[in-house]
Amino acid sequence: MTASQAVRQVFGFFGFLGRRTGKARVFALLGLMPVVLAVVVRIVFHSRTGPLASVFTEILMVFFLQFYIVILALFYGTSVTAEEVENRTLSYLITRPIPKPAVVLGKFAAYAALMFVLVAVSLGLSYFIMNAAHLADPALYLTFLRYLGVLGLGILAYGAFFTFLGTVLKRAIIVGLVFGFGWENVIQYFPGSTQRFSIVHYLKSLLPYAPEGRSAGKGVALLLFRLEPTSPLLSILALAAITAAFLALACWLFRIKEYLYEE
Amino acid sequence: MSVVIAAANLSKWYGNVLGLNDVTLELEEGITGLLGPNGAGKSTFMKLITGQMKPAIGTVTVRGRRVWNNPEIFQGLGFCPEHDVFYEDVTGWEFLTGLLRFYGYAKSEIAERAARALAVVDLTEDKDRLIRGYSRGMRQRIKFAQAIAHDPDILILDEPLSGLDPLGKRKLIRLIKEFKNQGRTVLVSSHVLPEIEALTTRIVLIHQGKILAQGDIPFIRELIEAHPHQISVRSSDPRALAARFVGDRSIQKMTFGPDGQTLVVETHKRDEFFGRLTGVVLEAGLEVEEISSPDDNLQSVFEYLVGK
Repeated sequence: MTASQAVRQVFGFFGFLGRRTGKARVFALLGLMPVVLAVVVRIVFHSRTGPLASVFTEILMVFFLQFYIVILALFYGTSVTAEEVENRTLSYLITRPIPKPAVVLGKFAAYAALMFVLVAVSLGLSYFIMNAAHLADPALYLTFLRYLGVLGLGILAYGAFFTFLGTVLKRAIIVGLVFGFGWENVIQYFPGSTQRFSIVHYLKSLLPYAPEGRSAGKGVALLLFRLEPTSPLLSILALAAITAAFLALACWLFRIKEYLYEE
Repeated sequence: MSVVIAAANLSKWYGNVLGLNDVTLELEEGITGLLGPNGAGKSTFMKLITGQMKPAIGTVTVRGRRVWNNPEIFQGLGFCPEHDVFYEDVTGWEFLTGLLRFYGYAKSEIAERAARALAVVDLTEDKDRLIRGYSRGMRQRIKFAQAIAHDPDILILDEPLSGLDPLGKRKLIRLIKEFKNQGRTVLVSSHVLPEIEALTTRIVLIHQGKILAQGDIPFIRELIEAHPHQISVRSSDPRALAARFVGDRSIQKMTFGPDGQTLVVETHKRDEFFGRLTGVVLEAGLEVEEISSPDDNLQSVFEYLVGK
């Protein structure tokens, strides 16, 4: 079996397993929060249109960009290798005729796909409910795809980083929480080049400054406050490099490291 | 017979703790029993020969090929881990078919192999139940099934009989023997001598990370017989009983227990002592409340061998 076939098989196995877990159900419920918010906003402010929908869309994006994808990536990313050690199921995987990096890559891909589906469903429902008055506007769909793309890149970059943390550390969740909700939340507001040491900086750099034909000013400021954006191309390259580098490190570590079960 | 698994000067540390100490061993086809008390190094040895750990010193090979980071060897090697752990939210069928994916088989072959393995372990009827709901015996059997489903010619079983009821043990012993009868190699670990005896006559004794002895069952039995046994006899008049045994050559040492009612005898010839004890008790008209052998276990044999 080639390495890419091995990755595909691991992807298939964990794609199936991932859907069955309680964790997926909990995160799916969490993903309902913005949907409920969108429904409430539509009911309360049903007669008002214009900037209001954009403001709430920005609020939704703050939730997705700075909370939902971070928490998803933290729990799924760190569990790529750590849960196999904690649950002592690692023996079932590393005594198979597949290279160890295929386990990391296949499981990462499976969890990334699962996270993307959770995010896409939650964002799709909440976004279109919130902007129900503009469903005929093609720009709405383009903006949605842009948001979804940014969140997808965020899932990959955060997921890869947390996969690396889970491979190298025993208590990766704690370090991951500090990184995801401490470092990322602070560093992005630093002026100059310091903000470029956060993943969220590149994600925000890919967001539209002013969603076409709608909000300008207040709504946008929620996400782009103090941002000195990097160009879209460089942002995509930076996110791709972060993803590739941390995945490569995770694969290398997983290959050379011994994992001992705690008695 | 050819050497299937070879370990040369194999050592492994867990930090400052020595898990395996300079083990040199060659295993051939057939069943070999790895016998040792808990914490003896059995699982460490098995993890080293299945590539789950890297040797600190020494080498380990399977059919002449290195093990660490060599996934190819697993095409012909099945491993049954000691711990009772699974992906709990899947059915027995999903568990087996999921793991069989990693061998590069076509879908139809995966289904065929999974069905065959389930039939071997008598779990066909329960294949669609979640593993979470399986009994301990069923869990042990599905664990065995995942080790044999790809039809390996080497099988490494870490404490496979642990926690099984007598019927379950008998079934699994039959399966392991059938596997061996097909000309394959099995290494099975246990801390219970009768379990290993039921499987094979070829035994490796391991204790504190060292191979103490290896040989067939009679050889191991001899070692056990040579071990001085303690026998404790609680009676109405232990001193009278002791007086009758003073001249007995089968006895090495006699002491009285702290309760004053127990005579503790140390002997190399346990059977001879028991033979005489009955007669003495009857002759003297003594009342015997309890006879026990506090060190009649494998641990004490190992301690004796280590001291030797």
